[in-house]
Amino acid sequence: MATKALTLHNVDAYYGDSHVLQKVSFELGEARMLGLLGRNGAGKSTCMNVSVGLLSPRGGSIELFGEPVTTLPPEMISARGVALVPQGRRIFKSLTVRENLIVAAQKPRDNKHAPWTTETVFSMFPRLSERKHQMAAHLSGGEQQMLAIGRALMGNPRVLLMDEPSEGLAPQIVAEVMATIRKLKESGLSIVLVEQSPKLVFDIADDIVILNSGRIAVTESAAKLRDGSTDLAQHLGVF
Amino acid sequence: MTLWLTLAVNSIALGGLLFLLSAGFSLIFGLMRIPNLMHGSFFMLGAYFGVTLLDNRIGMNFWAAALVSALAMAVIGGLVERFLLRRLNGQELPQVLLTLGLSFIIADVCLMIWTGDPWQPPTPDHLRGVLQVAGVYFPYFRLVIVLVAVVIAVALWLMVDWTRLGAMIRAGVDDAPIARVVGIKVSQLFTLVFALGAALAAFGGVIGAPYLSVYPGLDAEMLPLALIVVILGGTGSLLGALVGSFLIGFLYNFGQAMFPDLAYVILFLPMLLVLVLRPQGLFGRVMT
Ligand SMILES: Nc1ncnc2c1ncn2[C@@H]1O[C@H](COP(=O)(O)OP(=O)(O)OP(=O)(O)O)[C@@H](O)[C@H]1O
Ligand SMILES: [Mg+2]
Repeated sequence: MATKALTLHNVDAYYGDSHVLQKVSFELGEARMLGLLGRNGAGKSTCMNVSVGLLSPRGGSIELFGEPVTTLPPEMISARGVALVPQGRRIFKSLTVRENLIVAAQKPRDNKHAPWTTETVFSMFPRLSERKHQMAAHLSGGEQQMLAIGRALMGNPRVLLMDEPSEGLAPQIVAEVMATIRKLKESGLSIVLVEQSPKLVFDIADDIVILNSGRIAVTESAAKLRDGSTDLAQHLGVF
Repeated sequence: MTLWLTLAVNSIALGGLLFLLSAGFSLIFGLMRIPNLMHGSFFMLGAYFGVTLLDNRIGMNFWAAALVSALAMAVIGGLVERFLLRRLNGQELPQVLLTLGLSFIIADVCLMIWTGDPWQPPTPDHLRGVLQVAGVYFPYFRLVIVLVAVVIAVALWLMVDWTRLGAMIRAGVDDAPIARVVGIKVSQLFTLVFALGAALAAFGGVIGAPYLSVYPGLDAEMLPLALIVVILGGTGSLLGALVGSFLIGFLYNFGQAMFPDLAYVILFLPMLLVLVLRPQGLFGRVMT
């Protein structure tokens, strides 16, 4: 069996007393894309938070390429090659566009791919290049999303986690962002794509995991779900 | 006429010292939100270290003494941040109490070691003498203090605003959790900032010693001045600290010379006005 890029095994997570993730398990294969779906409050972002070390799970384990990272702090998980595009983008508003990128720069861990640098990020997102000396706070929503993606890539990650990258963007910008994500997938990056709507995810992801109230409701290959024969409405609401 | 000029030179010299004191205070408060009430103690303790090193028994070079003292205070400051303040992350009242308590302890320890008598090292030989311009005399040493302050101000500004390290510190201030997620070692950077602030204060203490002398209570005299400077200039703003320092340098010297009875009114009134009219300070950004 090929090693998995990222594995969550029976993860239990709490905010205070509320039990937000209950025995959550899933696997992200190397160079694959996993679509993580679920309604508002299902626990998708919490899965991201435990994966990057922002929240320590109370039970279960997390592995990165077969090595346990369950109790590592965020900066060490980042050093091992996990990058996050956070929900709501959370770019550093008082930094310039270029500074947002350089603070996140890390050396690549393998030489399989050309490394990400400010130049390669700027050539992927020419609009950021035009605004590189502007304060990030002055960017439009779509540009901020591109910056958040660029910032994540600057870490030369092996695993990229994207938490609702389409949220709050105009349809045309969403299409652009999805095209970028497709390119990243083709480059061989292992990706978790979190979304609320399956439309964006079904035809791009390899595997689908659906969370419902903090539990895994469905784990299936995207190909199987695409034909529509499985009833997902109970987990995802109307779509 | 010469009286005014002498006052002016004294004012900018004091302004230079105040900048060394308040730059660190401003960074620590502006970046890390720690109201560090032991900043005056860093200044005083650093000055005591300095005068000890300058004393005949050791007889160190003036600048070397200032650097060694700054280094020692960086270590002490770093330890205080890492092992004490770190546990009180985000809790302002406990931080106030802790730093105030430590400042009392330091004051007592200093009294024990250095006694209650003032120490005033001589002005170093190579900095004695005066510069004569158009019939007016400027003591070298005071000009050097200003020069050093300005050089350090520029260096700090370059570091914070124009280096990757500075951007990483600012990123940590903007959004600490996400900064950690992108790989920035926020906790180490904050210790570094705190240590740097302590070192600058100590450096100022040593450089100021031949001018102010060192005595019990120096800490409690300097701390309010740092507070006023930072409130006037705006927290976290180096330019604000620089301008505020020179402003207070002038108000302090001219106030005491012209209206000795009102010296404190003259010092604190501008601070009150700024608090009422422009709470973020002259150069501060509005906090969100
Ligand atoms: N910091 C927090 N403190 C307490 N409860 C939280 C916190 N963050 C999230 N929760 C709760 O945990 C549950 C899961 O939240 P989570 O953010 O993981 O959901 P999500 O699937 O990402 O939702 P959305 O699609 O709205 O982003 C929700 O009930 C939410 O209210
Ligand atoms: Mg979410």
